[in-house]
Amino acid sequence: MQLVLSWPVRILVAALLIFSVFVDGAGYWYRIANHYPLTGYVADMPPHFGDWQLYIHKGLDIQGGTHMELQLKDPPAGRNLADVQAEEIAIINRRINNLGVNEPLVAPLGSDRIVVELAGVPASKAQEVIGRTARLVTTTWTEDTKSTFDGPEGVTAGYKPAISTLSGDMITGAQAQLDTNGVAWTVQVTFNSQGTDLFGKMTQEAVNACPGSGTDCPKRHIAEWLDLNQDDIAHWDDPGYAANITKTIDQGGKLVTNPTIIDPIPSGTAVISGNFSQSSAKDLATLLSSGALPASINILTSTDVSASLGADSIKKSFAAGLIGLAVVVLFMVAYYRLPGFLASVALIFYAGVVLALFKVVPVTLTLAGMAAFILSVGMAVDANVLIFERFKEEMRAGRTIGAAVDAAVRRAWPAIRDSNISTLLTSSILYLVSTSGPVKGFAFTLAIGVAISLISSIIVTHNLLAIVLTSGWARRQGALGVGRG
Amino acid sequence: MLSASAVAEAVDRPTGAVTEETADTAGVTRRVRRLDLVGRRNWFFALSLLIILPGIISMIFRGFLLGIDFAGGTEFDLQFGTTVSQAQVESALAATGTVGTVQAGTNGSFVVRTGYADPQHQQAFRDALGQKLGTSVNNLNTETVGGTVAGETVVRAFIAILAASLLILAYLTFRFRRVQGGWRSGIQFGGSALLALLHDVAVLGGIFSILGKVLGLRIGEIDTLFMTAVLTVVGFSVHDTIVVFDRIRENMIVARSLTFEQVANLSIMQTAARSIITSFTVVLVLVALLVAGGDTLKGFVLALLIGIVSGTYSSVFNATPILVVWRRLAGVSR
Repeated sequence: MQLVLSWPVRILVAALLIFSVFVDGAGYWYRIANHYPLTGYVADMPPHFGDWQLYIHKGLDIQGGTHMELQLKDPPAGRNLADVQAEEIAIINRRINNLGVNEPLVAPLGSDRIVVELAGVPASKAQEVIGRTARLVTTTWTEDTKSTFDGPEGVTAGYKPAISTLSGDMITGAQAQLDTNGVAWTVQVTFNSQGTDLFGKMTQEAVNACPGSGTDCPKRHIAEWLDLNQDDIAHWDDPGYAANITKTIDQGGKLVTNPTIIDPIPSGTAVISGNFSQSSAKDLATLLSSGALPASINILTSTDVSASLGADSIKKSFAAGLIGLAVVVLFMVAYYRLPGFLASVALIFYAGVVLALFKVVPVTLTLAGMAAFILSVGMAVDANVLIFERFKEEMRAGRTIGAAVDAAVRRAWPAIRDSNISTLLTSSILYLVSTSGPVKGFAFTLAIGVAISLISSIIVTHNLLAIVLTSGWARRQGALGVGRG
Repeated sequence: MLSASAVAEAVDRPTGAVTEETADTAGVTRRVRRLDLVGRRNWFFALSLLIILPGIISMIFRGFLLGIDFAGGTEFDLQFGTTVSQAQVESALAATGTVGTVQAGTNGSFVVRTGYADPQHQQAFRDALGQKLGTSVNNLNTETVGGTVAGETVVRAFIAILAASLLILAYLTFRFRRVQGGWRSGIQFGGSALLALLHDVAVLGGIFSILGKVLGLRIGEIDTLFMTAVLTVVGFSVHDTIVVFDRIRENMIVARSLTFEQVANLSIMQTAARSIITSFTVVLVLVALLVAGGDTLKGFVLALLIGIVSGTYSSVFNATPILVVWRRLAGVSR
């Protein structure tokens, strides 16, 4: 006990307090230091000190967004699953870069799963951006008497696509740009040297198929598709199937474009024009330049929370938590008088330190995490109650105040230690076993809360008691609440 | 004779002088006799059974209302542009050709459950539903879970609860191994705490089974958050039990003239104020959350509330009496 009451420990606690006040109020200190108004929107927020940003990280259930668990489907044979998973993650990261999401999460889960969290993006959009395998397939048209499907434009019945060797991995870059007239959006694709050769040869052959400017025949077309496969071509003699495939991507088909080749293109850049809007051109460019997913994906779970639901819940829960805590403080002061008041001070210290830790670590705040925080306050109170009840007993046994405080803390300690360790045990199991984000958040928050509450109840309350009890007025039995049962 | 705390002082510092002495063992014994809780243990066991039995029957014959993360499938929490009735939503659902169920949610929202649908089909379904109803559809929360994952989640939840229980048993056995009787005593203490804890899990499971299946309330849904609540309750319930047991451990050294049953009763008396006050403060906060807090948390908070009340009850009225019975059956008189 000598150690707990020593000055180094007190200074440490004070330093912790000052640090917490700084972190908790970081936004305000930052506004004051930079002469910004204290409330309202400021462009520079959240505050940053060098590379260090301090703010509360809100979970998806609070700010809204999409959480998905994906499973790799049909990974390429002969490749290490971990490599495929890593490549898949890298590509997904590139694809979602364009969405402008704040702190997106794309993380491996087990050996064949990936977790994706995107704040503020509806799930359908997320699936659209992430889920496409996005192999760019280039085809020429070959004769096939069984094909009765008349289309797409420029191609007639009696033809079907033939997949060329020009593949998506020969693309080195793709970007959306306006055409030379500055009217329509196009996507410019650049090939590597192998792709340049192939593309040059294909375009030359297309032009040779029915030479002369202004002439057109099916073989003079080269089509670009997304994810077209041999299976699709095998079904080409079914006109309904072919019609579905040749719809544009927006309409659920696979065709990107099917232009007439006017001149051979030896330069290695192809301009894809279709009825693009600026955003659809950008989407396609991102898809093409980020590369094809090595394995397609299955969506195992998805959660799509609207921002309004989370905002409403957090507001209500926060208010409710405050009401609850206020009632607890009132009760503690009414029942335990001066010690109760000191415990409440320790409780506020506790809340401040935990909040600071949330910002510094950082811990993502979820609704369940908030419940855990409120619960851990209950445990912080518990340690104090144990000490105070023991204190009363020791006083009734006739000890002096100082000796009673000492004995109370010492005797209450085993129970406090064991009960908190049991909570730490359950929360670490929760953390280890669970795969769900909110549950992990709950467990982590609870564990932090329990650890800090130990410090607050044992060290802070004890020190406050020791300091305050040296003054005369505090020694009256009434102030200590000892007289009653 | 010495007072309990004075003896404790002597035990702490065997060579030191014992100076502060006020009460006597007669006082202690009076307190023990004043309210003989351990002696009335059969009444408390009966009360617990009375609460648990309907729950167990409901759990066996009706099972649980499973949340979407356990059941698998897709759950839409939707808000519509105009006020619509549940019947309207149901007929619109039928008109879209999708098989599913409709339940009223909170604040005029509706909860629609269908089979597995990936996000793009979800969007298509919401659009179709809105079209049939002739109003806009606002997604509050849509969750879809594949069948295999749902199975894994259930298994994980059970593993977590089992592992937590075993760890707690092991920890308590370790902590109480120094009590007279050694490791065997440790197991008696740990095992009693574990039984009390199973009591709380049974109460919680039973009440939620009744709420969800017998009364058909959505708040009785069992999902991952409920399992989290169960584990939290496990931790909390053990808190209370440990406080009583810790006092028993101390009193076994201090009050050597008392039988184990008397020691147990005395310890309950000495810690009752703390147990009630602590639980009371937590209950205060939880009630505030339940009444005024966000809707998405209500089932979770209710589970915590029930569990903590049950946990306090079982620590005082079950754990210690079980320990007394166990030690008596094992032939340990103190």
